[in-house]
Amino acid sequence: MSKILRVNMTDLTARYQDVPVKYKLMGARWLTSSMVSDEVEPTCHPLGPTNKLVFAPGIVTGTAAPTSARISVGSKSPLTGTIKESNAGTKFSPMLAKLGIKAVVVEGQPKEGMWYLLEVTKDGARLLPATDLAGKGAYATTNALIKRYGKVGVCCIGLAGEMKMAMAGVCFNDLSDRASRYSGRGGLGAVMGTKGLKAMVVDNKDGPGVSIANQELFGQGCKKLTEALQTHAITKPKGALNTYGTAVLINILNEAGGLPTRNFASGTFEGAPKIAGEAIFEGNKQRLGKELYNHACSPGCIIQCSNTWHNPDGSEQVSCQEYESVWAFGANCGIDDLDVTAELIRISNDLGVDTIESGGTIAVAMEGGLAKFGDGQKAIELMQEIGKGTPLGRILGQGAAFTGRALGLVRVPGVKGQNMPAYSPRAVKGIGVTYMTSTQGADHTIGYTIAPEILSVGGKADPLSPEGKAELSRNFQIATAFLDSTGYCVFIAFAILDIPKGFEGMVQSCAAVLGTNWTADDVTRIGKEILRKERAFNEAAGFTRADDRPPEFMRYEALPPHNKLWDIPNKALDSVWDF
Amino acid sequence: MIEIYLYGKLRRFARDQDPTGYSVVHSIVQAGDSIQGVLKRLGIPMEEVGRNIFLNRQYSALTRRVKDGDRLAVFPDNMQLLYSWYFVKVGEDHEVKKDKS
Repeated sequence: MSKILRVNMTDLTARYQDVPVKYKLMGARWLTSSMVSDEVEPTCHPLGPTNKLVFAPGIVTGTAAPTSARISVGSKSPLTGTIKESNAGTKFSPMLAKLGIKAVVVEGQPKEGMWYLLEVTKDGARLLPATDLAGKGAYATTNALIKRYGKVGVCCIGLAGEMKMAMAGVCFNDLSDRASRYSGRGGLGAVMGTKGLKAMVVDNKDGPGVSIANQELFGQGCKKLTEALQTHAITKPKGALNTYGTAVLINILNEAGGLPTRNFASGTFEGAPKIAGEAIFEGNKQRLGKELYNHACSPGCIIQCSNTWHNPDGSEQVSCQEYESVWAFGANCGIDDLDVTAELIRISNDLGVDTIESGGTIAVAMEGGLAKFGDGQKAIELMQEIGKGTPLGRILGQGAAFTGRALGLVRVPGVKGQNMPAYSPRAVKGIGVTYMTSTQGADHTIGYTIAPEILSVGGKADPLSPEGKAELSRNFQIATAFLDSTGYCVFIAFAILDIPKGFEGMVQSCAAVLGTNWTADDVTRIGKEILRKERAFNEAAGFTRADDRPPEFMRYEALPPHNKLWDIPNKALDSVWDF
Repeated sequence: MIEIYLYGKLRRFARDQDPTGYSVVHSIVQAGDSIQGVLKRLGIPMEEVGRNIFLNRQYSALTRRVKDGDRLAVFPDNMQLLYSWYFVKVGEDHEVKKDKS
């Protein structure tokens, strides 16, 4: 029997409630966005006592379904002011699911300066004082909790969350208990900080597990999905993701002229090959004396795209150097040295900040003259400043938009206050439409999935026409909203896109767990429902279509090498929401 | 003359094969040459060529024509990680095709 765990930080109680009927079929983003919509006043201050933080495993999380250990964290975002869902792959998620916990809702606010640890086992949940953990980085916090509890899932914030910075993320442990898996985007770590919740540990020992309504269908669905993942060139063992990691995209986007470089001033970076997936693979090979393939971030992942980066003496420096992080601190800051990007990622993981937002912030700081583009040492010092909580560190910690304003800059590449990820909208206009119209600010994973022809949700869109782009973006956003609710990693999209049986298996596995007879039509129906809820929350919070716009400089500053402006009409952006 | 930038296992067809740098081959362009024609002439096995092909930074089909001064970049089949559904693929007659990868 699954349940919802309510953690009240005002009276310091943790109690279970039955899952209301309306939430029975929901998981992950569907559930976090529904609960935030139902329970959080859209105009509330994100750092105030009435905002809530919701954690939810996906529909199939905790089962044997492959690559499905994602957790969604939802709230009103201190970075964007919109509703927010950010998900991560971690052992924490299946452990919650196996205890029969559908969601953890953190609400209220304790006395300022008090810090707590939430302990969750099959016997119940309780809050303990965490004075000993306060002031510790995410690495030290996670290590201390693993030492104390052993085999547990850990969730915590670093100093950035304690200081309620808008770039703070929520950290989870990976399979080797590294503090490296992040629900990074949108400042959710700051919300956790306002709740005085420094960390959570979950132990699923002797828990009931996840019940599956139709074992036979579940087996069939998982088999189809597994076969698709194991045969597709991108997701199979020693395939693109397993060998090179996501950073293989550095060279690819550079060749496409869409790799944002030096704060989105160019679409190519001359140093790209030095920081790409091939360079990571080669660097590790030289330093370790053998080929190193990537590992799983969470239990049951068969794609295994997470990497480690090693020091010259072979010791591990950091996990992981993935595309977005390497780009954010690399090309976007004009830095072409993997040892420097690794150190910047390590600092980010420890402080507990989103690497996309912090890399974007350093690039904006460089634009504003606080450092020269390419100066890795200065970039490291600026990141350290955030941890010290100096006035400059406090400004940087609020993210790129805030920093840009503090420095009087116009070229600040964000939407709704969230810095853009590693695809330049002037070169890759389709993804630009998604950045601008998403319910959560500029986000690349929010419209990143199944092709319309598989879902049969729309006509034959011409990708060159503005209308076609809007239609594609709409379909991607709808399908992703569903996928974000299953617990599956968005990277399964590569395989289920090319292999229809894989897609069928994905839907079947969800239906089998819940005892429904879902088909592709339900994927569309549910995706739309999620987006409408999120959009309604934002509208009630004061957002209008005027917020679904690019930063103005992209309309008049052409991006080399294609020398293209942002020329998608506003009408086309607005039409994304015509459904 | 056309410049061909090779990545991953295709770097072996270039003199400089450093995986942290650019592996570039130069080739003469013949009348009516397509991307595929140039690659075949270099002895690159087509089964190793992935879908991530860029001519002058444009995501391109193998059938697209090349001309003097072009810049071609080719990634192998085990590196095709582009979220290609956001890209317009330019084909032989510059017609627009939606890549299904």
